[in-house]
Amino acid sequence: MASIMRPSLLRQTALAAKPAFRNNAIKAAAFHTSTQRSAILPPGPQRIEGTVNDPAPIPIPNATQGSYHWTFERLLAAGLVPLTIAPFAAGSLNPTTDAILCSAVLLHSHIGFQSVIIDYIPTRTYPGLRKFFWWGLNLATVTVGVGLYEFETNDVGVTEAIKRLWKA
Amino acid sequence: MAALRSSSRILSSSRAAFRPSAVFSRSMASVSETEQPRIKSFQIYRWNPDTPTEKPRLQTYSIDLNKTGPMILDALIKIKNEQDPSLTFRRSCREGICGSCAMNINGQNTLACLCRIPTESASDVKIYPLPHTYVVKDLVPDLTHFYKQYKSIQPYLQRDTPAEDGKEYRQSKADRKKLDGLYECILCACCSTSCPSYWWNSEEYLGPAILLQSYRWLVDSRDERTAERKAKLENSMSLYRCHTILNCTRACPKGLNPGKAIAEIKKQMSIGA
Repeated sequence: MASIMRPSLLRQTALAAKPAFRNNAIKAAAFHTSTQRSAILPPGPQRIEGTVNDPAPIPIPNATQGSYHWTFERLLAAGLVPLTIAPFAAGSLNPTTDAILCSAVLLHSHIGFQSVIIDYIPTRTYPGLRKFFWWGLNLATVTVGVGLYEFETNDVGVTEAIKRLWKA
Repeated sequence: MAALRSSSRILSSSRAAFRPSAVFSRSMASVSETEQPRIKSFQIYRWNPDTPTEKPRLQTYSIDLNKTGPMILDALIKIKNEQDPSLTFRRSCREGICGSCAMNINGQNTLACLCRIPTESASDVKIYPLPHTYVVKDLVPDLTHFYKQYKSIQPYLQRDTPAEDGKEYRQSKADRKKLDGLYECILCACCSTSCPSYWWNSEEYLGPAILLQSYRWLVDSRDERTAERKAKLENSMSLYRCHTILNCTRACPKGLNPGKAIAEIKKQMSIGA
């Protein structure tokens, strides 16, 4: 009985609360040029999908966004440790190790920033902003990649540059 | 036998001789306590859904700790009984079994019934509802979505093969041991609501409490839907929004370790063990 009563009770309280909300919204609207909600403001009232007794929706399984992605991320992060130490420990400068190090760092930071975007710019609230940042990050990664390629081919390379800075 | 009896009589008589002095000293202490009241102030978050345009505020209540039980929940009940009957909070078992009285006390999510009133400092105790939840009233958060997420992981035994003896599903001692530290969870939501990742993405990320329960069913040797359960977590949001912040482990009032459970799920998903 109680479970049948509850939704209707909620609706009643929501209805009772409405006039006050509307009144306030009209007052607030007078100060705004558009009715669109700002991205900085806190989220609006809670929206429950389905009834109270339905389970929360489950996304479509996709291992490349799930466990494969996580495993790759961890292997890359762990691999960076020897890659960073090796050129300095060996004392030799090899363009191949330089290239591997550069691409690993680039991928690592790309995945890291992707994670930040997924965390803070969710598609469900800011789809446009998410798309903008997502492609902005892709552009930035490509730019940095091209820059590193130029630096490796036309200049001294990353390892040598760090070595010189260290000794300077 | 007679000798034994006489010795016990001597013991009891000596105990009786000690008793009055003990009573005397105790009564002295209580007399000195009652002389000066120990006043403690509680700042409690108030918000009333009947006046939704009114801003939430902190209301201060002062009570004498000599006339109160040792726990925060005792203080809350005393305030509600004697000072302000409109103060709203959930409570039931008062011994950390039901998980109803989860709230944010002095910046830490915990159960009010398991949290002592801090007597060592004179500063006010600040009590808020669980952070980043939709508040129903005062200290009562709306946990609807939390329970919906719990339902989505199907927290019950699923298997197709019948029991060998036709009576019960047997389990080795080692397999049973794997469930220790998992089954004790009371779903108070202290851990989930202390997790920044759950704050930002609670709509899609399951959060530590639900993932701990998810792991509880993944490691259960009697359950036969491990693959299906894992497939449900194979996306970027449900599980992998955990960034090992470990606020969950710090917050858990039952001393469980949701952070470790999540790490074990990630390991299982990665290695496929």
